[in-house]
Amino acid sequence: MDLDTVKARAGPRQFSPKDDMPEEYRKAATRMIQFHANSEVMGGYLDKAFTRMAPSLDRKLACTAKTQDEIGHAQLLYRAAETLGVKTREEMLDELERGDGKFLNCFHYPVSSWYEAPMIDFFVDGGAMRRQATLKSTSWEPYAHAMDKVCFEEGFHVKHGEDILRELMRSSKANQERTQEVFDTWWPRILQFFGPMNSESTHNDFAQQVGLKTVSNSELRQAFLNAYIPKAEKYGLEIPDEPRIEYDEENGQYRVVEEDLDWDEFWTIAKNDYEGSYEQIGSRRQRHEAVSWVREAMDGWEQSSAGTTPQAAD
Amino acid sequence: MIWEVFRQEKPGKYHQHCGNVHAPDRDMALMFAQIQHGRRMQTNSLWVVPRDEIGEVDTEDAKFGGTTDKAYRWAMTYNNVDASFAAEVEESEDEQREAAKKREAAKKQEEAQS
Ligand SMILES: [Fe+2]
Ligand SMILES: [Fe+2]
Repeated sequence: MDLDTVKARAGPRQFSPKDDMPEEYRKAATRMIQFHANSEVMGGYLDKAFTRMAPSLDRKLACTAKTQDEIGHAQLLYRAAETLGVKTREEMLDELERGDGKFLNCFHYPVSSWYEAPMIDFFVDGGAMRRQATLKSTSWEPYAHAMDKVCFEEGFHVKHGEDILRELMRSSKANQERTQEVFDTWWPRILQFFGPMNSESTHNDFAQQVGLKTVSNSELRQAFLNAYIPKAEKYGLEIPDEPRIEYDEENGQYRVVEEDLDWDEFWTIAKNDYEGSYEQIGSRRQRHEAVSWVREAMDGWEQSSAGTTPQAAD
Repeated sequence: MIWEVFRQEKPGKYHQHCGNVHAPDRDMALMFAQIQHGRRMQTNSLWVVPRDEIGEVDTEDAKFGGTTDKAYRWAMTYNNVDASFAAEVEESEDEQREAAKKREAAKKQEEAQS
């Protein structure tokens, strides 16, 4: 299929591994899905820290369940990415380990307190879920199928995250203040989660033309703000003065003053070159290496032929 | 030999199991599958898989969903907060509620039978 045909046919779940897709499409889709898969891994590892910090057994159970879900999402997405025939799962995991794999900005900031749990589990997961819901209509069918299962599960993450926020903001004054403090720190990062707006990212247009992406970053951020600012306010969180956000009553839209956000930090993160990037990628690498014996044992088992029976009747 | 048949109704949908056919090889299996399962029902694509290639675990061997209370995994558990502020969260909760209902009904039926 040539690129013009792809653009003309682009629509929800239009293309599958049976179609002969041009290299540009396969590369763009791989880049996007690999980024998404990496983010699930790194988000899962970040989230893992909350299990220890969680104040009750119920919360600990929910935190481990969520971490398990995220790693499961990564598995689904690496499989979806592999179907494009550009990179194997092995290669993508190696890239992540080497520090070459890219992932969402919010997962480059190590966490150190339970107050941060709702920042990730409610706001970041909420933003991610908003984006993922639109990806159910992506043009690469295996990607859309992965989103069906991911979105099925994510409702628990977001509601659990909100429940933590509610609990903290209805408890002691000290807890409320600490939550507000971390919110002040996280808020700009959460706004940057959707990327820079004016110079919409370079790959964005192509991804929309071929139906990989159906909604622009600015529309996603707008929808996110409309849903989540009232939630923050409902629980008594104050939206920081900076970055400035103006609400336009007439069209019901928020306008974020982009210059108030730290884009140097954002682009440093995008290169995996932020302090937190080294810490997060490094600690994940250590844990990944620590269980390499499991992977090796499984590979050995597969090679000793127990994995698949020879093909029948051909 | 027996080949299990999976039908996909429309592009983008899942291939779902719809039956099986006897056939000596893959080509014949595809042909029989077309005739038996692809002619009357809306079909975009068919898969055939040798039955021996399929692994199975069922309710005899496994407790799907586990044996302990996993309420903490469901969105409905967190009913101090309301999902209606975001359509995608609400939709996810609806799907989970539906799945939980089905599992509950199956469990009740199982208990009634034993
Ligand atoms: Fe996820
Ligand atoms: Fe999640």
